[in-house]
Amino acid sequence: MEVLTPEVWVEIGRYVGAGLALGFGGIGAAIGMGMAAAAANEGTMRQPVAQGHLMRTMLIGQAVGGSPSIFALVVGLLIFYMPVSPEEIGLPKAAALAGAGLAIGIGCLGSGVGCGWPAAAACGGVARNPKRSTGIMSLMIIGQAMAQSPSIFATVISLILLFRPVSAVGMAGVGVAIGAGIAMGAGALGPGIGSGTTAGGALRGVSNWPRSQGITLRTMLIGQAVSQTPAIFGLLVAFIMMFALADLEPTIVNFAKTIGAGIAVGLGGVGPGIGSGLAGETACLASATRPRLDALVLRTMLIGQAVSQSTAIYALIVALILIYLV
Amino acid sequence: MDASFMTVLVQAVAAQPEEVAATAIQGTDLIKAGALIGAGICMGFGAIGPGIGEGFAAGKACEAIGRSPENAGLLTRTMLIGQAVSESTGIYSLVVALVILFGVVLGG
Repeated sequence: MEVLTPEVWVEIGRYVGAGLALGFGGIGAAIGMGMAAAAANEGTMRQPVAQGHLMRTMLIGQAVGGSPSIFALVVGLLIFYMPVSPEEIGLPKAAALAGAGLAIGIGCLGSGVGCGWPAAAACGGVARNPKRSTGIMSLMIIGQAMAQSPSIFATVISLILLFRPVSAVGMAGVGVAIGAGIAMGAGALGPGIGSGTTAGGALRGVSNWPRSQGITLRTMLIGQAVSQTPAIFGLLVAFIMMFALADLEPTIVNFAKTIGAGIAVGLGGVGPGIGSGLAGETACLASATRPRLDALVLRTMLIGQAVSQSTAIYALIVALILIYLV
Repeated sequence: MDASFMTVLVQAVAAQPEEVAATAIQGTDLIKAGALIGAGICMGFGAIGPGIGEGFAAGKACEAIGRSPENAGLLTRTMLIGQAVSESTGIYSLVVALVILFGVVLGG
């Protein structure tokens, strides 16, 4: 076992972290850009006249939707090339490098896919009504920006993991770094996808019923905000682990409890994030179709989303019990 | 045999050259550690299904209310009943996770 010196562990952490960041981080944006391109092709086939507008909408949608993969690229390169000071070399730093890769990689996957739905729906709408391409595109950019916020949370957490000196020692430090990475990475996956489906619904609605753009925008923003709660739970738990658990005893039990808390709150947020997004999607369509029923639709959406969020709250409770009571 | 292999592996990983030698890891610690990760996996994966399922129900309710607003009360009631049933597996996960956690806390 002398082979596994602290220097070797840090190198392993670098390779694993950079691989996770770039491998997972690219999946989502690639799928999203593909959806936009498919919709633009379909639109050009139906309306060859609109091909200039379609090309512009597709390229802007892909450029905005590609930014999560650029976050992943930047953080992945940082993980790979960042100098590690000699007193920090050890297992916890190696875990922090791998944890940062986990957070940014999986965190950017959801937002990347999520940005694809609004881009695809916008291409469909522009094909149907090329004159309205400016209004459709501005709604698309707002929806995509909201869908990207989980990936920005993930970027913040991964940069803190990279640049903040690791305070917890031994096994506890490993658990805190990996646990925070899973909590934020997986926690951002569902909200990214969910906010994207909501934005896609809003764009389909506005493409067909342009007059209800204002009301649909409101429903979309509220729906996206609710579907991002699990990402905020993940951010919260990651912060608690990185800043409040500095003096954990380096035991296997503390390692397990931090990893367990990260898995609970991270994976627990996937379902509620996607589910709230699905509710938001149809709510946006309904309020675009019948703007007069807006209040009723909004109420139903919020009740449904609240119930769907309850499992994320259970996951948060279990994670907090793991952190503070065990 | 598996447990002893795990112990050797975990001790090798936990060893920090510049610190004091890692304290010996006992079997009870490993059991506790397994229970804690298990509770996390139980609640984490258990929450995925209900969340997505309840979202489907809420989405369809919004769609239906958009079409026939006069039935809003009936539709909301149906949505809530459906979601409550879909929630049940999430609650099972919560119960199992809490049983594991309090078993660890109270059992020492």
